[in-house]
Amino acid sequence: MRRFNYDLILILITVGILFLISLLCIGGMFYFKWAELQSVAPAIKMAFQEQMNSLLAPFLVALLLTLGLCIPKRLFPPRWLYTFIILLGLTGLGSALVWGWRESLFWMLVISAALQAMVLILVVSGRRLKFLCEGYWNRLGSSLVHLGLVLFCLDFFLLSRWDMHLVIFWISAICIFIGMIVTFYAEGMMEWLRRRKNSQEFTDRQ
Amino acid sequence: MPDLGSAIDFYQTAGSFLIYLLLIAAAALAVCIPLQAKQSGGLTERVAYYLILGILALLAAGSILVIWFHWEIYQHVVLRLPENLAHEINRWLAAANSRSSYTLPLYDPAAPPKYVLPFWLENEKYLFWFLAYAGMALFAWRRLSQPIFRILLQVLLVIQVAVLCLVCNPFQQPLPRFFQEISPWFSPLAPISRFGLFMQLYPKLIFYYNAHYMWTHPPLLFMAYAGLTVFFAGCVAMLRTGEAACETMAYAHAKASYLFLTLGMLLGYPWALQAWGPNWWWDPKVASSLMMWIVFSTYLHARLYLSRKGMWGFVGGLGILCFCAMLFTFTASFFFPGEHTVH
Repeated sequence: MRRFNYDLILILITVGILFLISLLCIGGMFYFKWAELQSVAPAIKMAFQEQMNSLLAPFLVALLLTLGLCIPKRLFPPRWLYTFIILLGLTGLGSALVWGWRESLFWMLVISAALQAMVLILVVSGRRLKFLCEGYWNRLGSSLVHLGLVLFCLDFFLLSRWDMHLVIFWISAICIFIGMIVTFYAEGMMEWLRRRKNSQEFTDRQ
Repeated sequence: MPDLGSAIDFYQTAGSFLIYLLLIAAAALAVCIPLQAKQSGGLTERVAYYLILGILALLAAGSILVIWFHWEIYQHVVLRLPENLAHEINRWLAAANSRSSYTLPLYDPAAPPKYVLPFWLENEKYLFWFLAYAGMALFAWRRLSQPIFRILLQVLLVIQVAVLCLVCNPFQQPLPRFFQEISPWFSPLAPISRFGLFMQLYPKLIFYYNAHYMWTHPPLLFMAYAGLTVFFAGCVAMLRTGEAACETMAYAHAKASYLFLTLGMLLGYPWALQAWGPNWWWDPKVASSLMMWIVFSTYLHARLYLSRKGMWGFVGGLGILCFCAMLFTFTASFFFPGEHTVH
């Protein structure tokens, strides 16, 4: 029961953050229209983008922290995860004070990507995890989707820093695509694999 | 427009005929709705099924007509340049390419640029979108015989056909913006004006009309919109009837739509960088698409707790909100300024 409530609270927090981000998006749209930003100089448009990015940043940090608690929640003891999240938050806050929010968010994304990659490796290597949706394919898909999303955010930060940033984008796109197929159609895939195995056995017997 | 006059005439005549047939089929389907509401099953439902099948066939025929018309454009609309101008343009393009990260191919006199137009330009996109919906609706209809769900699928199809025929008929005036752009090319022009016009048309041909992404980003989004519409019908039916089968059907379409939507949005990213540079981020259409994707993600997360008390209504409500977000996102192109603006 306690575990169930913990999962539900995490989901509710995620839903709440996503709701606030969607409100920010709608606000940005109306501001864009109201301020007639389509016809202004590129520098003013860039300033608007920068302002929207800085408004989005705290929500993205909150999502990263929730993701850090949510995805590996069955892999590590909760105490470890809380410690990790507090450390991640403090690192983010400290680096924001020293180098600014942009740099801080970049490093938080790098750490989150490393964490998600670790989860993925553990899932692939077959360590027993109990995610919300049971089954190897569901676990694999969920890890891939979340790793892909963190990598996609990371690619955004590398847009103006690294000419080859699209490599990260394509890796993230592949992760998200395969992850979704595997998560959404895990049952069908298992059925297909089972049928293939049965037909193989039948052929072997003959 | 050289050699396209007769093709346009045939396109408009055949297209108008299809539109009339579509209107008749949609009107007949609309008549079936109150009859089915009174008594489900039986002859009326069979007639409705064949009418949906007929509408699907007519939309497919319309799409084949669009493909044929685009083939005609490919063959006849060519940006051919005189030899001296071609040499000058290639010098200019080479200089521009050396300064940019995304390059334009040099003009090849042996193979002058042609338009490989996708089948979802301007009003044609509605034909593709509604064709995808008709196909998905028929599939869903066959899989679930829940009367309210079936009626909703029909109502949504009738609305879509009415919109296609009465508001955004692609056959009435074929590709008006495209022809407005290219028609000056086929009028007598001074070399300097032709040079200027080529430099206006050519980047758009490469980065927009002939872009590989044009064959992935928009169709994936329209397929997502079509799936979302079936998903919406499923959510309304699940709230109205409380039947698990409706929810299962809604979720099946939500998964497919979310996959199409995510993939479509992802593929828009490298294309936007190529075509617009970094200035498109937080564009109203991008912001609304992000909002729609977030609402959809919220639905998928919330659905994990469907069996919990009070979640049935919440999840169904979120599904309806997803559809509203889709409508808002699509219509944002008409009311909000930005790179995706229609006008």
